[in-house]
Amino acid sequence: MDKQAEFVLRTIEERDIRFVRLWFTDVLGTLKSVAIAPAELEGAFAEGIGFDGSAIEGFARVYESDMLAKPDPATFALLPSRSEGPGVARMFCDILMPDGAPSYADPRYVLKRTLTRAADLGFTFYTHPEVEFYLFKQAPEPGQAPVPIDQYGYFDNAANGIAHDFRRQAITTLESMGVSVEFSHHEGGPGQQEIDLRYADALTTADNLMAFRLVVQQVALEQGLYASFMPKPFTDHPGSGMHTHLSLFEGDRNAFFEPGAPYQLSKVARSFIAGVLRHAPEITAVTNQWVNSYKRLTGGAEAPAWICWGHNNRSALIRVPMYKPAKGNSTRIEFRSLDSACNPYLSFALLLSAGLKGIEEGYEFPPGAEDDVWALTEAERHAMGMKPLPLSLSQAISAMERSELVAETLGEHVFDFFLRNKRAEWLDYRRQVTQWELDRYLPTL
Amino acid sequence: MSQSPTPGSLARAGLVDSEMAAHLLQTPVLGDLLASDDGEFLQDVAGAPDPDQALRLLVRVLQACSVEEAHRISSVLATDSDTRRRMLHVLGMSQALGEFLVRHPNNWQVLSDAEGLCSAPVAAQVHDALIRAVGADPLHSEPVATHPQAADQLRIAYRSHLLGIAARDLSGMAVMDTIASWLSDLADAVLAAALAIARSELGPQASSCRLAIIGMGKCGGRELNYVSDVDVIFVAEPTEGVEETGALKTATALAAAVMRICTSTTAEGTIWEVDANLRPEGRQGALVRTLRSHIGYYQRWAKTWEFQALLKARWCAGDADLGREYVDAIAPFVWSAAGEPGFVDEVQAMRRRVEDHVPVKLGDRELKLGPGGLRDVEFAVQLLQLVHGRSDVLLRSSNTMIALESLATWGYVGRNDAAALAEAYRFLRTLEHRIQLFRLRRTHTMPEAEDELRRLGRSLGYRADPVGELHSQWRQHAREVRRIHEKLFYRPLLQAVARLDPGEARLTREAARERLHALGYVDPAGALRHLEALSSGVSRRAAIQRTLLPVMLGWFAEGPDPDSGLLGFRRVSDELGSTHWYLRLLRDESAAAQRMARIMSSTRYATELLLNAPESVSLLSDEQDLLPRTLEQLTAEAMAAADRHEDMELAVAAVRALRRRELFRTAAARVLASVEGQSHESVLAWSPGPALTDIARATLKGALAAVTAAVSAEWGKPLPMRMAVIGLGRFGGLELGFGSDVDVLFVYEPLWDADDPEATRAAFEVANRLRGTLMAPSIDPPLDLDADLRPEGKSGALVRSLNSYARYYQQWSSPWEAQAMLRASAVAGDVDLGTRFERMIDEFRYPDGGVSDADVTEMRRLKARMEAERLPRGADPTLHTKLGRGGLSDVEWVVQLMQMQYGYRIGDLRTTNTLQTLNAAKAHELITAADAAELQRAWLLATSVRDANMLVRARANDMVPTDVRDLAAVGYVLGYAQGQSGRILDDYRRITRRARTVFERLFYGWTSPE
Repeated sequence: MDKQAEFVLRTIEERDIRFVRLWFTDVLGTLKSVAIAPAELEGAFAEGIGFDGSAIEGFARVYESDMLAKPDPATFALLPSRSEGPGVARMFCDILMPDGAPSYADPRYVLKRTLTRAADLGFTFYTHPEVEFYLFKQAPEPGQAPVPIDQYGYFDNAANGIAHDFRRQAITTLESMGVSVEFSHHEGGPGQQEIDLRYADALTTADNLMAFRLVVQQVALEQGLYASFMPKPFTDHPGSGMHTHLSLFEGDRNAFFEPGAPYQLSKVARSFIAGVLRHAPEITAVTNQWVNSYKRLTGGAEAPAWICWGHNNRSALIRVPMYKPAKGNSTRIEFRSLDSACNPYLSFALLLSAGLKGIEEGYEFPPGAEDDVWALTEAERHAMGMKPLPLSLSQAISAMERSELVAETLGEHVFDFFLRNKRAEWLDYRRQVTQWELDRYLPTL
Repeated sequence: MSQSPTPGSLARAGLVDSEMAAHLLQTPVLGDLLASDDGEFLQDVAGAPDPDQALRLLVRVLQACSVEEAHRISSVLATDSDTRRRMLHVLGMSQALGEFLVRHPNNWQVLSDAEGLCSAPVAAQVHDALIRAVGADPLHSEPVATHPQAADQLRIAYRSHLLGIAARDLSGMAVMDTIASWLSDLADAVLAAALAIARSELGPQASSCRLAIIGMGKCGGRELNYVSDVDVIFVAEPTEGVEETGALKTATALAAAVMRICTSTTAEGTIWEVDANLRPEGRQGALVRTLRSHIGYYQRWAKTWEFQALLKARWCAGDADLGREYVDAIAPFVWSAAGEPGFVDEVQAMRRRVEDHVPVKLGDRELKLGPGGLRDVEFAVQLLQLVHGRSDVLLRSSNTMIALESLATWGYVGRNDAAALAEAYRFLRTLEHRIQLFRLRRTHTMPEAEDELRRLGRSLGYRADPVGELHSQWRQHAREVRRIHEKLFYRPLLQAVARLDPGEARLTREAARERLHALGYVDPAGALRHLEALSSGVSRRAAIQRTLLPVMLGWFAEGPDPDSGLLGFRRVSDELGSTHWYLRLLRDESAAAQRMARIMSSTRYATELLLNAPESVSLLSDEQDLLPRTLEQLTAEAMAAADRHEDMELAVAAVRALRRRELFRTAAARVLASVEGQSHESVLAWSPGPALTDIARATLKGALAAVTAAVSAEWGKPLPMRMAVIGLGRFGGLELGFGSDVDVLFVYEPLWDADDPEATRAAFEVANRLRGTLMAPSIDPPLDLDADLRPEGKSGALVRSLNSYARYYQQWSSPWEAQAMLRASAVAGDVDLGTRFERMIDEFRYPDGGVSDADVTEMRRLKARMEAERLPRGADPTLHTKLGRGGLSDVEWVVQLMQMQYGYRIGDLRTTNTLQTLNAAKAHELITAADAAELQRAWLLATSVRDANMLVRARANDMVPTDVRDLAAVGYVLGYAQGQSGRILDDYRRITRRARTVFERLFYGWTSPE
């Protein structure tokens, strides 16, 4: 047993922890949890805890259902408790096959494999997400329009203070779990909030995002509210995205930074961008995985529906933020299509993989877009060779199906499951008669 | 003065740079020496490991002395031949010690002190001398250094003692174990003196604590090298009446100072690194803990490996009472962890580390980590201690050599093995010592430079060809370590069940079970029973088994199913034990034995074949025998076998026995291809298809001849017809797998004057009997001829005449039947008739002008329906080798569609073999090279998986197994390493997915929507 595991066992003893929640994530990005008593933890570290994989979305078919969850002691954190009672702690798990080999169904393993590939090239991958979500007055009821907690907008300091209290509580809770928060404010939509996590290596960030979604929803419930990461809950208000800043480091050095280069972007950064842009259509089914995601992407305003990059251009898919002198190590690019309801492990793995591909193959860096892409005409965009992101989940699935990059990154099991699941979602959606159709056609046809 | 030597005589004496030597000999300081020399001086120079270096350094030492001192040394060296030789040996071996003497020439007296050097250094005296060297009082219980340059003085005293040890070592006074224990004693003294210096640095406050230094690792085991890290743990208690926190702070300062004093480099250099990382919590933990805190930690948190490290704990400096208390308090813990769950896993992980040879970069020059290196011995001994030390306290020594000896004494290791291992270990350690002596550097890599190798070789006494002899000795010892090492774990298992000479110790059954379990046997009790049955008794047979089994047990343990391997071996041995060649073969040709072990621990199919015909073991002795034999050879043998017997049953039995032997040959070759160092790719590329097809064809030919002869004999006349057997499916395609069906058609033709109904009856009789007799139960595997693809299927006639087939295909045939005929080829019987059959169906299978659009649509629909309906319920389509996504059927239908479309005009497409057709299509640009490669890769992989399924389970299965044990076994046959079960599935799914994309484009005509 390594030192970290011993540290965990010791802390559990010293802090009088009565339950340890073992967390892992299914293929669609839903957090799963199994609670065990501390006495079982040592065994879990050694061999993992057995569970029925067929009950988890995308993990296994019935006949290969025995799987093991093995906690990663490096992710140990105490969960804040409401009272002074005995504490609860959590750890993220790696999913293993019964013989102890890593399971290709585990999204965490997908990301780990890709990070290993990057490490083989000498890179560490850092991400910094800005998570948007809506706060509603109550939990959703079928047929009822959702009611946001306020009518304020971007950066408003809300007078009724509900949002403010909420953010304070959520951030305190996150910090107590070791998830560092950088920034938070009211977003553009009524009741819409944004909380930015501090940048960290991609695996930690993905773990943190899983914890983040849980904390936000729990704090909301505690305060009698309801939080949702649905990408586009209102037709007329902005959707909830998760703009994410990406950077590669070689040791302590930011590999994206090169003094004197255009925008101070190194060759590595430029090829990385080229890679992400070239493969953007293929990975969109994962970065924007729901039918509803595409309502946000095609909704105009700040949504990045076209595949291009811009220097400080908020309508481009990739934005290169203004360079701050003497801050070479903060050089990064912002990928803007991700939404808050994605599976962060798979999404980060694909973004990294696309970027690495650009680096390995030395993709040509395309010229940047300086204009607001939404304001251009169709013909102008065409002339500039600017292609749209997939317009619907269906288009995204088609693009992904043909992608060797996505298949290799996700592994065949996840690739296959994901496509099957998304095709089914699309088929189900396609047969729906929507309120919009009823409102528009029933009176006239 | 004697005549000064010429460069020539110096060169003959072994000096490399004789010019320089001649020049040196002119140096005035050597005057006295050479003047009184009787010629022996030069002889002794020549006897030094490196004569040039010895001479050079001697001159420098003498030059460094005052004139009187130089005279004194010269006269001693001239008269005292022992001192002279010691001096020249040390100087000729160790440049570092020579430099030391140049700096401090008066230390030469160490070498002249004849009496002192003839006895072993006494630990207590060494201790007192070093304490005095730093100006402290050795009689004081907590000596404090007073010398202003104490750290320098310590270094000088240390090297002076090291000089003495090296001199004893090089003059062959003691074996390696003893040298290592002296070095450990010296290390103890250094630590004690360093502590005295630390006390003086800290002042009176130092006495507020009692500090003990516990030696760990090689220091703890009293088996230290000349230069290595000294592993320690610090334990401290407050002096009575002192508050604990403050005392611990003082103790920590003392401990840190001790480490710094030993490690830091002063004008006099450094001593060695002190490494305290084995302490509780390692690097992160407190440097010093109280005894209670240590115990608390080990009670609650320590893990098996830490206890294993503690096995070596020994008080070596500081407060002796506290040190002993510590060691006594820790001892009970050391073995308590061994009973915990996870223990076996750890042992197995260690075993893999011991047995797997990670090729290290310096591989060829590594004394420690390379194959047959020091680590092999140390790990093996520790591992055996770990497995058995829990229940047997007699094994718990901290010293490798002593532990090895007690393992041998109590029967855990064979006596001869232990002796040979000890000898090899001593050799390797001595080699390591000599390498380190040169510059006093911590290294365990063999040097590359010729002169360094020469010095090494000569220091070990190799004079004629020092470098060559050094290498051959080293290799021999390393090989010996490897050889013993392979059997070390297994040999004593036999003694547990064998009757031994009275008085010899043996492994208990309980210990044997523990060990077998640790080695991966799932049913140790069963394994022991097999061992007992195989090896007990006084027969010669049992004696041979006893030498054979230890190695076999190890080889079984490398396969996916060691228990089956041992069971199979027992059954074959029971059968063949008394055959004169069997045991000799296995004993004398270890390659054969190893192949047998690999086959039996991984494939049930080949094992079963072997059990029914144990004499096939003889095939394993020669690699050449594993090559498939040609169709001609096989046919000739099958015909001869049929011919030899008048009785049909006997004739067919002989043919079937031939088949069984050949199937074993092919199965063995398939399994061994994956484990005998072949790359994964090449394992897949080698297909047993042609060999298996040839075997089936020869079998059919022989059996057909026998049956025809028998029927003809019954009828009392030659039969009124000729007959041919047509192969279909994989048989016709010359690509049979181990588990494939054998699809055939029977065609006959009446002789020109024959009565047609009679010819039909004769043909039916022959075909029917042929099937019956090849399927009849016997010890040989049945050859199940499947004729269901004939016109009208099961309800159609079993035999038809050539004309009848022609009429049928003209009138009734559907595209589906024409497609099946693509793989029809004559495999046995009348050659001319067979050829005419093939020609007859050409017009159906390669229709003139290609297939119609309507027929293509029909084929596509049929395929689509098959995909939906034929797949077994609940089967994962991504894992079904035959009907699944990108599986065999996908690839074959693409190929067959091209044959039907273009076969009429492209002759190369008219073959029955899938891959051959694919290559022809590529050559004629009907398919791109990239697409063809994807299809071929998937087809080969799916084929290999089906073959592997059959080999592993002896049962045909179309699915890639999902049970982890089966998957691992199939992976083993396919050449995957252990622990890669997830990767096998991922590889299979990826390769077939790509093939599926190609298939959809080429067969269904789907184009991507871009």
